[in-house]
Amino acid sequence: MRILVCIKQVPDSEGFITINESNGWIDFEGSYRMNRFDEFALEEALRIGEKMPVDSIDALSVGLPRAESTIRKALEMGASRGIHIITEESSDMSAFETASLIASFAREERYDLILAGVMAEDDMQSQVGPMIAEMLGYPSASSVIYEEIDPERRTLFAEREIEAGKRECLEMKLPVLLTIQSGINRPRYPALSNVLRARNQEITTIPSQSLQKPVKRERMVALRYPEALSKGIVLEGNEGEKAGSLLQILHEKSII
Amino acid sequence: MKGTMETRQIAVIAEHRNGVLTPGTLETLSFARELESLLNLKTNIVIAGKSIEGLTYDIAGMTGMDVIGIEGENLDLYNCESYLAALEKPLEELDPAYICTPHSAMGYDLAPRLAVRLKASCITAVEKIGKKGKSVLFSRSQWNGKIILEKEPVVKRAVLTVLSGSWPEPDGRPEKTGEVTIITIAAETKNSRTIEIREAVRTGFDLAKAEVIVSAGKGLGKEENLPLIYKLSELFPKSAVGASRAACDAGWLDYGHQIGITGKTVSPKLYVACGISGSTQHIAGMKGSQMVVAINTDPAAAIFSVADYCIVEDLATFIPCVIEKYHKLFSSHKESE
Ligand SMILES: Cc1cc2nc3c(=O)[nH]c(=O)nc-3n(C[C@H](O)[C@H](O)[C@H](O)COP(=O)(O)OP(=O)(O)OC[C@H]3O[C@@H](n4cnc5c(N)ncnc54)[C@H](O)[C@@H]3O)c2cc1C
Repeated sequence: MRILVCIKQVPDSEGFITINESNGWIDFEGSYRMNRFDEFALEEALRIGEKMPVDSIDALSVGLPRAESTIRKALEMGASRGIHIITEESSDMSAFETASLIASFAREERYDLILAGVMAEDDMQSQVGPMIAEMLGYPSASSVIYEEIDPERRTLFAEREIEAGKRECLEMKLPVLLTIQSGINRPRYPALSNVLRARNQEITTIPSQSLQKPVKRERMVALRYPEALSKGIVLEGNEGEKAGSLLQILHEKSII
Repeated sequence: MKGTMETRQIAVIAEHRNGVLTPGTLETLSFARELESLLNLKTNIVIAGKSIEGLTYDIAGMTGMDVIGIEGENLDLYNCESYLAALEKPLEELDPAYICTPHSAMGYDLAPRLAVRLKASCITAVEKIGKKGKSVLFSRSQWNGKIILEKEPVVKRAVLTVLSGSWPEPDGRPEKTGEVTIITIAAETKNSRTIEIREAVRTGFDLAKAEVIVSAGKGLGKEENLPLIYKLSELFPKSAVGASRAACDAGWLDYGHQIGITGKTVSPKLYVACGISGSTQHIAGMKGSQMVVAINTDPAAAIFSVADYCIVEDLATFIPCVIEKYHKLFSSHKESE
């Protein structure tokens, strides 16, 4: 069994994002980390590896050189190999391009199972996973909240989360691609031994130019901030004054 | 299927459950209507299922749009592989410029694969249509709703998913009914089979009945801060504690507390969002609240765009401050009453 986990480096939600008018993209002040949904995907792969014999769990990221730290984090968590498809473009890379790059790498590797997060926290498109599956001809299921592999029959049972907590249950034949929903497991903290191992581990790097060059199918025309803070009233003053006004308002509305 | 092919088309892939269209599909029809009027296009509804003839005629009557019903043994429940097999040919023949579906569990499962198969552009979670010269632009939120991107397909076909809550459901009945075409397709699958839909596990307490909901997000920081949320909610009679998915994922609260598209939909008198960024998936579950108070350290947090009262503070110090003030202001005279 060979498993690939697709991971993305995203800006931490605590950082500051502003529009950069001069280059038509964004500026970000803050730290970068692994997309949370991908952490769940990686954890799920590691748990599969603890339940049955697995040849390798590869963690792959398409991204700028700085994405290396996120691949290293995956190694610290327990991935066996890190793969970095290095891109130079810092602006909007379409899901189709990312998926094409990953698919052209994964085609040769013949993975039995490919996992990705249900979406990336930054661009929130939920596209890359299913696109890879289509390009490789694998069956796929998105937003998976439970999975079970039958290695003898080479089948995978999955439960997808659909609306209001309902679940769609399906069975697929390996090889399969799943996009993983948060809450399927509790991602681990890296063990010290893995952290030490990961520190010097080689990461396979592939320049994106060496892979099949996909062509964009949509382009970004403009970036803007959302319409002004609706009708909301911003409470002013120091903490105590704000607390006072809040209670006052709730009292006037007979809520408190 | 019929008619002249000079005018490009819009196709809406309908999602249905237990014989009715989902609310997301109805919103997607309004989206298609807007696109229609902007570009002088014509919308066709495409619906797949096992025995859907009756439903197909209902929809044609209800919307006045032409409907293509695709029937097949394997189309009883949604399955990505069988739907792709069923939709591919009819869509190739119809050759629509835009293929639209709700951004639902079906939509985001199907749309990216369909786009690759039909060599189309794919833009998901569209919340607004714009026009700039000859270009039609589709807006979608990124970075937790802090910035909006306007995108334009650059190939002749696009698959779009429509974010729930962005368009109203259509009202009124049209004068004339649309035409119906029924086709039968085997839609055989080799590698994937949907077995069943399992109903949600019911959890004990009732968020739906609460008049006030105080919700915790990832901004709670640590489980030790949870009592703050409970203490704040206890200031209100008929209150309950809610949560964002991220707070449940952290293990601080059980998933029964989760509000949002994959959790509960609530509409209390007052909703207090503490340390919640305001992702579209969360907002979808609470935007019916009569009044929203948001407490967040980040003035740019998207939750503030749906809040009536915005408080830029650290919840770990602000909530204790509110509780203390409350006791000073109200409890003392209550006790003496
Ligand atoms: C298919 C799908 C379905 C989903 N369904 C749901 C759903 O039903 N419900 C749901 O909630 N999510 C859902 N999500 C997840 C959603 O996309 C977000 O990841 C999630 O809502 C984020 O939760 P959050 O706002 O608590 O966390 P974050 O986005 O991390 O936000 C934390 C916020 O806390 C603020 N903060 C930090 N420290 C403090 C402090 N000390 N005081 C005050 N504020 C502070 C930060 O500024 C930030 O705004 C779904 C995702 C997918 C892909």
